[in-house]
Amino acid sequence: MSGLRLGYGTNGFASHRLDDALDVIAGLGYDGVALTLDHAHLDPFAADLPGRTSAVAARLGRLGLGVVVETGARYLLDPWRKHQPTLLSAEPVARVDFLRRAVRVAADLGAECVSFWSGVKEPGLADETAWQRLRDGVSAVLEEATERGVRLALEPEPGHFVQHLDQALRLRHDLGSPELLGITLDVGHCVAVEPVDAAECVRRAGALLFNVQLDDMLPGVHEHLEFGAGELDLTATLAALTGIGYTGLAAVELPRHSHAAPEVARRSLAALRAAEWTGDAERRIAADPASVRTLFPAAGRKAGRAPLHPETDPQGLVHGTRDDEARGRLLAALARALPPEDLAKEVGELYRYGDGAERRGVLRNLHRLPTGDPEYSVVRDTGLRLVEDALRANDTGLVAAALGPFAAAHLDAHSWRHGVLKCLFVGVPVAAVAGLAERTDDELVRMVTDYVAERKAAGRDVPPDADAILQEAGQ
Amino acid sequence: MSAMRIFDPHIHMTSRTTDDYEAMYAAGVRALVEPAFWLGQPRTSVGSFVDYFDGLIGWERFRAAQFGIRHHCTIALNPKEANDPRCADVLDVLPRYLAKDGVVAVGEVGYDSMTAAEEKAFQRQLAMAVEHELPVLVHTPHRDKRSGTQRTLDVVRESGIAPELVVVDHLNELTVGLVAESGCWMGFSIYPDTKMDEHRMVTILREYGTDRVLVNSAADWGRSDPLKTKYTGEAMLAAGFTEDDVDKVLWRNPVEFYGQSGKLLLDPLEQAAPTGETFEGNSVLRGARPDSGA
Repeated sequence: MSGLRLGYGTNGFASHRLDDALDVIAGLGYDGVALTLDHAHLDPFAADLPGRTSAVAARLGRLGLGVVVETGARYLLDPWRKHQPTLLSAEPVARVDFLRRAVRVAADLGAECVSFWSGVKEPGLADETAWQRLRDGVSAVLEEATERGVRLALEPEPGHFVQHLDQALRLRHDLGSPELLGITLDVGHCVAVEPVDAAECVRRAGALLFNVQLDDMLPGVHEHLEFGAGELDLTATLAALTGIGYTGLAAVELPRHSHAAPEVARRSLAALRAAEWTGDAERRIAADPASVRTLFPAAGRKAGRAPLHPETDPQGLVHGTRDDEARGRLLAALARALPPEDLAKEVGELYRYGDGAERRGVLRNLHRLPTGDPEYSVVRDTGLRLVEDALRANDTGLVAAALGPFAAAHLDAHSWRHGVLKCLFVGVPVAAVAGLAERTDDELVRMVTDYVAERKAAGRDVPPDADAILQEAGQ
Repeated sequence: MSAMRIFDPHIHMTSRTTDDYEAMYAAGVRALVEPAFWLGQPRTSVGSFVDYFDGLIGWERFRAAQFGIRHHCTIALNPKEANDPRCADVLDVLPRYLAKDGVVAVGEVGYDSMTAAEEKAFQRQLAMAVEHELPVLVHTPHRDKRSGTQRTLDVVRESGIAPELVVVDHLNELTVGLVAESGCWMGFSIYPDTKMDEHRMVTILREYGTDRVLVNSAADWGRSDPLKTKYTGEAMLAAGFTEDDVDKVLWRNPVEFYGQSGKLLLDPLEQAAPTGETFEGNSVLRGARPDSGA
């Protein structure tokens, strides 16, 4: 395994005492925590701060947890105004003082860095003034950091003055590229606001990446989501971290999930390990294509078997399962590593020696092979052979997987129509059939019409999907 | 007395009937391991093995689940057929199966007639176990058992595999001591007549204790009894062992040994009676089948 160091943010355990949160996070198997200093969690303004800091340090040591210090508490400095004051405020003293405290706490904890953001620019504040205030504030905190030997990591935050990675890098450059100043990257933010994906942001930050926050997001929406609920490519993102040799903590950032923290943290770790395994498997296949023979079967155990959209597709017949998705990535990696003849043979054997789940994994992902490329006609022919084999079976998982985008693009009309009819017979929802509307023709409509008539004549129910096909065709 | 829970660590269900599955479930069997072995009728090609392996991870697992029993298997070229050059190439296919879910060990491997071909296959498969981080189920020969067991332990030691990943099976009073000293697990097949019976087994448990001991029925296509695990548990209780001792030998020990593969599937099954569910379109039911819409 590539061995990223995975952590969890204590701001996602706001309903737990800090000690309990650390116990749960360590107990689940995380390697570290992103510790947000807040009222209830190592309050930096508490009278007995040094004593409490050393107690927390001892507990982290006992539990074997690494730590980074986060400073994004909402109402720590001003009970009325969230996040105020900031480094951009006319009176930023309280913010600078707090960040300097955070640096001292980090030094006492042995933390790997202190993470901070710029703050929101008030309407009417000139960019140049904001930029100047930010430089001054960061310089002041850097003094403390230099004295204590603590690294600082500036986090681009959606909606803040510094919200893009480029801006954070520019600030660092303007300050003369101080060695102790680096970047915190929230990979969900990349989905929400960056022009390139999170993996590319990771590569752009490179050696300046001091701290990473992990969560999912949807483009344009700054809402921290659990993995899988947004559009982050977690596997590619973690692979990029491994690729740049990142050795810091990568900690889950789900500050609005405290109500179910232990379960969310458990699920998150499972998703991270699955993604890490998948990325690692892709690299191994690139280096040694034959390794796919043992990695492909292991995908269920390593990446999970649950349906991707359990609410609408409990059996995974329409959208597939986690292992289907992981196997798709392995096939794509295999396609990059092998010439056409070898690829066709290997894919055929993965199917031949596969159990039901592995066969499904091949079928559902045939479109991820370069079958449209004339040079890969041998791979397309193999794919067609496998689809025809699957359509002879009565296994609903195989039938559903066989009628994906590959069959929509390449399967002959006769076989394809019979595949659709078989779905009606064995109870596969036709939502699983890719390109149904585009490929439905008069002959399919005739076949389905006859099928419906036959059911009615026998006094049996007509599957709603049969009616749906006829309605779609205007019958 | 609370009901026994039983994990039969060695039983060839492919050769057994649905009556057996029902009786095993009633006796408390909830999980088992089916080692790949010979079928009475010799195989003559690699393809015959591959279809058999597919059955072990596919149809037989489905069939067992229909009766509320978790089915796992071990995969290997068995010693007897290692002597047939037409079969030896199956070794090249094994890694694909060793990576699969529910494949919890390499086995059965070992000696039958102590030939060079057997030894070569045995050594190569021990190396595969090391590479795939899997336990190994080692068969000991029925003829010349004591010297065969000694030779078996020598080959195991030379392979470099950790002894706690190895069970040496079909032991008796004359061979148990050698295996106990080696640090390997001790397997006992309880048969109606030969090898070992439940009362001799109790005597061995008194002498050697319950650590590293696996008790199995090894039931197959020959005269054998899939309930011998249960009878051994009863004989243990009659001889003064506690229910906890029985649970350790008949459940926790096999879970510990095969659990080293990381591939046991022990979450309870929902039903203990066959349903209309199908495996690749085939059901274990006969006669009327629930309407599938067809």
